[in-house]
Amino acid sequence: MKNLKYILAALATVAFFACKQDQYYLYNDIARLQFGPEPSRIYTTSYNLADTLKMYTFYYEDASIKQDTVFFDIYAIGGTKNTDRAFTLRQDQIANATNAISGTHFVPFNDPKVAKHYVIKAGTVHTRVPIIILRDPSLKTTTPKLKFSIVADGSFSLGEPSNIWRKLEFTDRLSQPSSWNAHFTQYYFGKYSVTKHAFLINTTGDKWDSIFIDEMYAGGNLIDYYRTVAKTALINYNAANPTAPLKDEFGDLIVFP
Amino acid sequence: MKNLIVPIIAFMALISSCAKDKGNYDYNPKEEVEVKGIATSYTVISEKENLVINPEVTSTDPSAQLEYLWGIYETNVQGYAPKLDTLAKTKNLNYAVKQAAKGWVLVYRVTNKKTGYAQHFKSDINVVTEFTRGWYVAKDDGSQADLDLFLTPTNIIPNGKRENIYSTINGAKAPGKVNMLSFLSSYKSNVTGVNGNTRTLFLVTDKDIAATYVNTLRKIKDFNSIFIGTPSVKSPSALFVSGTAYYLVNDGQVHSIYNMGSNFGQFSARIMKDANNTNYNLSKYFLPGIPGLVDPYLFDEITSSFVSMSQGSGPMAVVGDDATTTLPASNNNQKLLYMGTKSMGYPAAPGIVGTLGYAIFQDKTNPAIKNLAEISGYSGFKLKIIQTPLTVADKLYNATMHTLLFGDESMMYFVVGNEIWSRNLANKFEKLEFTLPAGEELTFMRHKKATETGYAYNYVMIGSKVGANYKVRMFSKSSGSLNATPDFTLEGTGIAREAIYISPAASESTHNPSF
Repeated sequence: MKNLKYILAALATVAFFACKQDQYYLYNDIARLQFGPEPSRIYTTSYNLADTLKMYTFYYEDASIKQDTVFFDIYAIGGTKNTDRAFTLRQDQIANATNAISGTHFVPFNDPKVAKHYVIKAGTVHTRVPIIILRDPSLKTTTPKLKFSIVADGSFSLGEPSNIWRKLEFTDRLSQPSSWNAHFTQYYFGKYSVTKHAFLINTTGDKWDSIFIDEMYAGGNLIDYYRTVAKTALINYNAANPTAPLKDEFGDLIVFP
Repeated sequence: MKNLIVPIIAFMALISSCAKDKGNYDYNPKEEVEVKGIATSYTVISEKENLVINPEVTSTDPSAQLEYLWGIYETNVQGYAPKLDTLAKTKNLNYAVKQAAKGWVLVYRVTNKKTGYAQHFKSDINVVTEFTRGWYVAKDDGSQADLDLFLTPTNIIPNGKRENIYSTINGAKAPGKVNMLSFLSSYKSNVTGVNGNTRTLFLVTDKDIAATYVNTLRKIKDFNSIFIGTPSVKSPSALFVSGTAYYLVNDGQVHSIYNMGSNFGQFSARIMKDANNTNYNLSKYFLPGIPGLVDPYLFDEITSSFVSMSQGSGPMAVVGDDATTTLPASNNNQKLLYMGTKSMGYPAAPGIVGTLGYAIFQDKTNPAIKNLAEISGYSGFKLKIIQTPLTVADKLYNATMHTLLFGDESMMYFVVGNEIWSRNLANKFEKLEFTLPAGEELTFMRHKKATETGYAYNYVMIGSKVGANYKVRMFSKSSGSLNATPDFTLEGTGIAREAIYISPAASESTHNPSF
């Protein structure tokens, strides 16, 4: 009987600690702030972590373009307020990576040029967060990373931990678009290389960035069209340069599967 | 007392579990409404016909007070919920149809006002237009093309005509001389608001392609929009279906749409011949394959070689030879004077699906040598070509135009001067079938047939030019030979180059697309 008492006490203790509060916050919680997908995707579960990382290149832009803006979506939890609510962002350093330098690669978050936009307007729960990136000459040879997160302040507490930060990688070189992924590599255009990327751009006049690749997927037989165009152009190039067939920056012959 | 606790609790539970039955049971038999006189489907012409239905309605409730409602909603809707439009609130329906030509569902609701009981009855409504049935003649004046439509409201014999209907509806003629009139039933477009199968008539000229939606005859694509990347040279010659792709030959180069995958009705890039992108120039003649099953065979005039491709994708396949062939499929040093399709199914070799065609070859080295060739095109890129030499004594030797009786007698029709001859392909017997009256010039000759109930036809069509006008004589035949007089003649202005019969029953496998 005595043992039974101990067992029941132990079970009650275990049961008590087995419960853990869900990290999701309710809409009527205190005012919190977190990033999220674009508004049309907020009810699509698979997009919960979309846009965590964005990539950008100045490569396609005219030389006169010295800066550009990348937007992220941010949402307030806990209902609306009848006054504007400013929020604060800070850069987080990433270990063992080329971190973007504030003022060199991007406009500092406390610069009034951008800080004035870091506001959830009265009566709303969403805004687009502008990150102004600068076309520093170093982007010709590097791809810095900018990780930033929300700072808890008088207006907002932090939202879900997985959505209080965002990352942006940018450069002034051709870089592998996010949509040139394993599927795109295996079934359509093969291994990525900057040389292949540039060849495709020169051949078709299109950007071959993620937007273009996503449009190809959605465009019926567009992807087959561009494969044929690429293959034909490569054959013609190699025929015109029999002693110097097109090779990538790794020295491998460029092929389209 | 302690022992009574359990019985007391049980008793209280028993008491509270009982509840008074307040059911509103009705022991009358279930009410039924019966409607007779509504067919499962109707076909009506939009903007022209009335939908007239006089149903007989009875109810099991002898004192029923019935009220009625007719409604209609569209089918194949994406992106929004179909809405029921009320047509009438009367027992009988007499409604002037104005809906777009497509599939609709008619709903008839009968409600017993006394009891509130309602029953619904449905019927499929196939809304068509006057353009969805009739003989279309593709014609030109040497530089601009148009369509004439001969209406067939009651049977295959025309009764009524809409001249220059293409330009009337689209505001302008199509540039160029007619090369082909082609029909596809599963061509993709968003003409109805969603990307889907679109019954499309293709007026292929030597300068343009006018793809028109059969329901409205409005142009939905032309040369500048039918390709993903528009070719620099406008010279289309053929558009047809074979296997699992649509093919478009332009400037001797072939483009395709894989029709089993997602597409928006735009042809892809030029298909390469091989891994070296060797030049090629395709003949206007081709041997189409069975839709869904067999890939087509085309002929490269540069190398005198047959080529094919799997599911519309390149590079082209090298065509092999059957062991018994008498002419190699590749590098055979021949000029192709004519090629057409005789039948589709199991040609020459039982058990192997394919296309049977005939061709006239002329030797490139010695042009005096001509051969009639029987070509069995099998799935798997292999041809059996059996040649029969032609001599100058053969009328066929000097023929200028040819056609085959597709799926019928084993005969080839051909033209010498203003005479139409036939040749029995088995015993080589040649016979004069018809002589054009003086002053007429032959412009085309085709055999077309279909078996639609009430609209069956089997005609050798002979088109001729008489001054600025055309005649298309529609000959029935007996044992492969033309009857003495045509069943009827289509007549209009311009030069007729092709005719085709379109009906709601026609699909892209109805017509033999080859010459």
